[in-house]
Amino acid sequence: MTQLDAQQVVFLFRVIARRLADARVELGALDGAIGDADHGTAMADGFAMVVQSGAEAAARGTAAGDLFAVAARAFLNAVGATSGPLYASAFMRAGQRFAGQTTIAAEELPAIIGDFAEGIADRGKARPGDKTMMDVWAPAARAASLAAEGPLARLDRAVVAAEGGRDATRAMAASVGRAARLAERSLGHVDPGAASAAIIIAALRDGLAPHLSGGHN
Amino acid sequence: MAPRAISKAGDGDTVFAMPLRYGDDALLWAAWLYYEEGLTQSDIAEKMGLSRPSVNAYLADARTRGIVNIEIDPDKFRTLSIAQALRDHFGLQDCLVIPTDGGDRPLIARLGAAGAQALTRFVKSGDTLAVTWGRTVLALAEALDHPGLQDVRVIQATGGTTAKIPWTPEACAARMAEALNARSIPISAPAIVSSAVMRSMLMQEPVLAEQLAILAEADRIVMGISSLRPESTIHTSGFLEGGVQHAHYQDAVGSIVGRFIDARGEPVIGPMHERTIGIDLAALRRIPQRIAVAGGVDKVAAILAALRGGHANVLVTDAVTGRGILTAEGYKDAPRRAVPSQAPLPARNHVKKLINAPKDAVDEALKGALLAHERLIMALPDTPRAIVAKDGPRAGKVGIVIGGGAGHEPSFWGYVGRGLADAAAVGNLFASPPPGPILAATQFADRGAGVLYIYGNFSGDVMNFDMAAELAAEEQIAVRSIITTDDIASSPVESRAARRGVAGNVFIFKIAGAAADRMMPLDTCESVVRRANARTYTMGLALEPGSPPETRRPSFDLGPDEIEIGVGVHGELGVVRQKLISADESADLLLDRILAEMHPSEGDQVAVLVNSLGSTPAMELYIILRRVRQRLKARGIGVHSCLVGPYYTSLDMAGVSLSLLHLDPELAALLEAPCRSAALTLP
Repeated sequence: MTQLDAQQVVFLFRVIARRLADARVELGALDGAIGDADHGTAMADGFAMVVQSGAEAAARGTAAGDLFAVAARAFLNAVGATSGPLYASAFMRAGQRFAGQTTIAAEELPAIIGDFAEGIADRGKARPGDKTMMDVWAPAARAASLAAEGPLARLDRAVVAAEGGRDATRAMAASVGRAARLAERSLGHVDPGAASAAIIIAALRDGLAPHLSGGHN
Repeated sequence: MAPRAISKAGDGDTVFAMPLRYGDDALLWAAWLYYEEGLTQSDIAEKMGLSRPSVNAYLADARTRGIVNIEIDPDKFRTLSIAQALRDHFGLQDCLVIPTDGGDRPLIARLGAAGAQALTRFVKSGDTLAVTWGRTVLALAEALDHPGLQDVRVIQATGGTTAKIPWTPEACAARMAEALNARSIPISAPAIVSSAVMRSMLMQEPVLAEQLAILAEADRIVMGISSLRPESTIHTSGFLEGGVQHAHYQDAVGSIVGRFIDARGEPVIGPMHERTIGIDLAALRRIPQRIAVAGGVDKVAAILAALRGGHANVLVTDAVTGRGILTAEGYKDAPRRAVPSQAPLPARNHVKKLINAPKDAVDEALKGALLAHERLIMALPDTPRAIVAKDGPRAGKVGIVIGGGAGHEPSFWGYVGRGLADAAAVGNLFASPPPGPILAATQFADRGAGVLYIYGNFSGDVMNFDMAAELAAEEQIAVRSIITTDDIASSPVESRAARRGVAGNVFIFKIAGAAADRMMPLDTCESVVRRANARTYTMGLALEPGSPPETRRPSFDLGPDEIEIGVGVHGELGVVRQKLISADESADLLLDRILAEMHPSEGDQVAVLVNSLGSTPAMELYIILRRVRQRLKARGIGVHSCLVGPYYTSLDMAGVSLSLLHLDPELAALLEAPCRSAALTLP
C-alpha cells in the first residue's frame, strides 16, 4: 500500500494548483458570462497559496494529515470571496479524516471527494440543481463512494460524474449566489464553480493515479 | 423584368405617366399604391397600365430589392424560430412555443390553452388518449373544448394520488374526457403502492389488468414534465412520499409519467420503480404521439432531459423555456436576417489602464489611498486589508465595520472616519475579504459596546462576515450584521431579502456612523440602520462595461447603442437590455422604478445620490440630477440633500445609479450629522 508523505501531499495540491492556473482565464470568462469574472483568479490564487503554505508547513515538519487544515487557512485568507469559505470548509472536513497522520495511504485519498462535498454543502447550503459547484461535487462524491471498486476506478467514475455534473449546469437556472438573479440568462452557461470543481477532481485523479496503479486497484 | 421606367403598358398602347415623385422607379410606385394607399392589384394594374400578373411580379420584386420590408412581429418571430429550432434539433413531430409574458394570465393557464390547441389539432375519432396529471395538464383539460369526435377514450396514464390537490390523475382524465365527449377510463389503483408484492397482486386483478391493457393501446399521450426542484409541485402531490429523497434518485433531474430520468434522459431506476402502477418509460415510447406540455425556467433541465431521451415528440412550451433548452444545447440565436450595419468598431485587444502588475493593483491603490488620506485612515499593523479610522472609535461607542471587495473606490475606505465607519475590510477585486481582516477590524472597532457589520448582500460577503462574526463571538465581542439590499433591480419586491447591496450603502453607512457617534446602544443602532436599509432604493444602468485590471477586457458585451438596465456593481448582467435613451428618459426610468416601490406621500423628504459607476463624468451626473429634481418637485417630494459623484463605483464601468433614501425625521437628523472621511465630509 503506497503511503504519501507530506511532500507528496503538497505535490498533489500542486497538480491541482497548476491546472487551475492554466484555467484562470477560461474560468474568468465563464464567470463573466453570468457573474463578475473573479472566479478564475480566486481559484488560481487560492490554490497557489495552498501550495505555498503547504510546502512551508511540510518543510517545518507538519504531518501529511495536518496539511489539510493548513490548506484551509491558506485558501481562506488568500481568497475570501465565495469560494474561500466553501473550499476552506472542504479542506477542514478532509483534515478531520487524516488529522495527525504522518503519512496517508493513497487508497484513502479518493475519500476526500466526499469530504469536500460535505464541507461545501454544509457551508454553502446549495441544493442539487441550484447551478453551483455542488452539482459537480455531489455526483462525484457519490461516484467516488461506490463500494467494491478499486480506488483508481472510483476516481475515474468521479471524473466522469464531475464532467456530467458540470455539463448539466448548462440547463440549470441559477438560484443561489450572485448569478441567481440572472436565472433565465444564466441558462446555457456552465457554472464557473462547477467547472473549477471538475478541474480539481480531474487533477486529483491524475495526481493520485501514479500512486494507485501497479496492482493497487 | 421590372423595368426602371415604363414606356409602354403591358396590355395596351397607352403610355401611363408616372408621377414625378417616384422618380423613374415603377417598383416604388407599385409598392406605394399597394402598401400605403391600399389599392388592390387590379386597381394598380389599371392605374399603371399593366396586367395584374405584372403588378404581382412588381410587388414581389419590390420585396426582393428591399424597397419593401415586411417584418413579422418580433415576439411572434421569436417564438416561431424557437419552435422551429426545437423541432429540428430534437427531431420532434411538432412544437408550439408561446410568448412567456402574456399580460395577466399566468403561464400555466396559457400553456394549458396552447396545449389544448395542439391536442385539438391532433386528436381524432376513435383515439385512445392517455393523460398524466399536474397543474399544466389540468389547465390544458380546462381549456379544452372539442366535443365533436366519436368513440374517443381517455385513460389515466398512472394510478391515483392524494386527493389533497386539484390536479390528480383522476381529475385530469375526467376533465379531459368531458371536454372531448369521450369515455373516461380510470386506473383503479394508487400510483404508488406500499410494496412490489402489493403491485404484482393488484396487477393480476382483472379490472386493473383490463384498464392497463387499454392504456397499452393509447394512440397519444398528453403529459406534464416535472422538475425535481424543491418548489416543484411534484413534492406537494403526495405522489412521491419523500421517495426521491432516496439516494437512488439523486441523479434524477425530472419526472414524466411518474417515472424518473437523469440529465441524459435515461431512466433512473430506484426502489419506487417496482411500486409504481402506470405506464413505464418503455411503454411510453411505444405510444406513437407523446405530447409534452411544460414551461418555466426551473423546468429547463427536466424538459431537456425528456427531449434528449426521446420521451416526448411534440412539445408545447414558452419562449424563455424553449430558448433555455436550446442554449443549454449550445444553440445560438441566429440573426433575424443579414442586417447591413456600419463597419464594426476597430477591434481592440485590451482596454488601456494605468496599472503596474495587474495583481498588485488592489494593494497599490489601497496604499495610495492611505497616503492621500493619512490624517483620516490607516491600515492595521500586519493586516494591510483592515483599514481603520484614526479619529472616531472611543470607549462605549458601538463600532461600525463595513467592507467588501475592491473595485468600488472610494468605497470602502472612503467611508471610514469620525461619524462614519470605524473600520473597513477590503477584499480582492470584487471579492469578499476573508474573515482575517474582518476580525482584525472588529477587534479594533470594539470599544465595549459591540460592533455592527454593514455590507452588501453577496453570498461571499455573507459567508466571510459570518465566519468573522463567529470568531468574534468566541472573543466575547457582540456583533450584529446588517446585510444591505437596496438594489431593486436584483430581485422582485417579494424577495427583497435576496437583493444586492449597492450604492445606497453610502446612505446606510452614514446613518450607522451617525447613530454610533451619538453613542446609541447596539440595539438602537441596529434597528435604525435596518430601517435605513429598508428605506433605501437603488437602480442603475450601464452604458459601457468595466474591465478588470487582470483581463483588461470588458467584463460583458454591450452593443454599440445598447444600455443595460439594472446592472450589478460587479458587472453582473442587468435585468433588461435596451436601446440607448436620453438622459431624461434614463432618469425617468430609474426614478419610476424606485418611486413605484417607495410609495412616497406628498411632502415626504428624500435624500438623493446620483452615482457614477466609474467613468461617467460629473457633467452627465448633473444632467441626471436635474431631471430627478424636476420629477420629484412635480411629485411634491422634498429633497433633503443630494450627493452627486463617484461614490460607489465599479471600476471603469460607464453608467449611473440613482439611490433614494426615504427619510423620516430621525433618519434626516442622522443624515445631516457631522462626519469626516475621505469620501464624505459634513460640517
